[in-house]
Amino acid sequence: MPVSIQFRQALGKLVLPALILVACGVILLGKADRALVERLRMQTADLLAPAYSLVAWPQAKLRWLSGNLQDIRNLEAENIRLRAENESLRHWYDVAAALADENGTLKANLHWIPDNAPTFVSGRVVRDTSGLYARAVLLAINADTSVRKGGIALDGAGLVGRVTEVGKRSARVLLITDSSSRLPVTLESSHAAAIMAGDNSPLPRIIFYPQDNVPIEGERVVTNGEIESLPAGLPVGHVHYVRPGQPVVVPAAALDHVDILRIFDYADSVAPPDAPGRVPLPPPVGGTLSLPAQFQPHADQGLHG
Amino acid sequence: MKNFTPPPIRPGIHPRTGLGYRIDHGVRSAAPCLFVFFATLVLSAPLNLPGQVELMPALVMGTVFLWSVFVPALMPSIAVFVLGLWADVLSFGPAGVMLLMMLIVHGVALSGRYTLARVNFFVLWLVFGVVMVGVTALQWVLCSALALHIVEFLPFVFETVLSFGSFPVLYAGFVWTYRFVVNNTDRS
Repeated sequence: MPVSIQFRQALGKLVLPALILVACGVILLGKADRALVERLRMQTADLLAPAYSLVAWPQAKLRWLSGNLQDIRNLEAENIRLRAENESLRHWYDVAAALADENGTLKANLHWIPDNAPTFVSGRVVRDTSGLYARAVLLAINADTSVRKGGIALDGAGLVGRVTEVGKRSARVLLITDSSSRLPVTLESSHAAAIMAGDNSPLPRIIFYPQDNVPIEGERVVTNGEIESLPAGLPVGHVHYVRPGQPVVVPAAALDHVDILRIFDYADSVAPPDAPGRVPLPPPVGGTLSLPAQFQPHADQGLHG
Repeated sequence: MKNFTPPPIRPGIHPRTGLGYRIDHGVRSAAPCLFVFFATLVLSAPLNLPGQVELMPALVMGTVFLWSVFVPALMPSIAVFVLGLWADVLSFGPAGVMLLMMLIVHGVALSGRYTLARVNFFVLWLVFGVVMVGVTALQWVLCSALALHIVEFLPFVFETVLSFGSFPVLYAGFVWTYRFVVNNTDRS
């Protein structure tokens, strides 16, 4: 199409401002429709997940090799330490076995209701999607595994985070150190309930603890059963004071170096039963509330009775 | 010493126009965009490099700035836009912020290119540093506004310093690419 040079120059000058406007539009769109952006990113991550695991594999091998070399260097000292530790552990094993026996007997006597064994899947972390303002990892999963949004991620030592998005071949796990992570926890020695709030630093803070029952340095922090899908008693870490009056949790899980995660599905472990006597009201649609079925007046009763 | 002036056009001598020549020419012209594309892709992989998250914007901004100043024909606005979208999809920050930063850097470089292309390297470096400070401050403001709370400031300072420090390396890479990749079609 023949266009005059002036017109073409004017068009050329308009391209960049138009694109900047579109970029502002993209920012607003990302804020307005988070789901769309997240879906797009998860689809891209799904496509790239095999490539990422290709990158992760030689790294794991290299780390294993260097770890081996270091082990060989201080084999002697390690052996001595292990022997001592083994002795102490053997003692503790006896104690634990005796306690487990006793616990079993007591539970048998009390007709204890056994806990449901949760189902879990394990997966390899293929990518750390932590940015300047988020702490999250991407986990490779199969299409037929049942990883659901809200699943609990644990590594060998403790709580790592929660599943926030699930794609076909990968799932995103928001770490407990992320600034949007808030979890109810119990402090094991002082029996206080508190909230563990991530702030993008490696040590999440403890907030909302009772002022007359402050956290004790070094005590264990476990999850609290306050919210559904997160059972009580999962190990989280221990309390540490970075400065007086500012308790933080030192996570038990190796969060800076997450390798393999187990995703537990506790979603419907404890479902509250229907309470008789309490009338479940339907959500008010259109502003009118209707009575439940048993209280509804029958039209034919009014006519014939 | 190699002479980089184009061959004189005489009657009877035409530039080659085969398919192979066109592909070769296309790939050479797309080199800067391809570099940004693959740098973004590689730096989003789990390499466990220290400062990997901050390195990506540093490399991308420096490359976009340099090519927009010296050879804007190979770094057009549309390409910057597409690459910005790509960088945004691969990173998990607020959507569109990276895109906007790249477009602003591109715009500043483009509008000042007649001055910037002539100044001393150190002046150019300084100008890039000032642009990065402004753009990173904008990023911090946008991230804080979109997250509805003040996000930590230090990573952004680190990002600025990193991009400032990586500029000479990018400049050397740019000069090399411009001389031996983009402008060397005749020797292939």
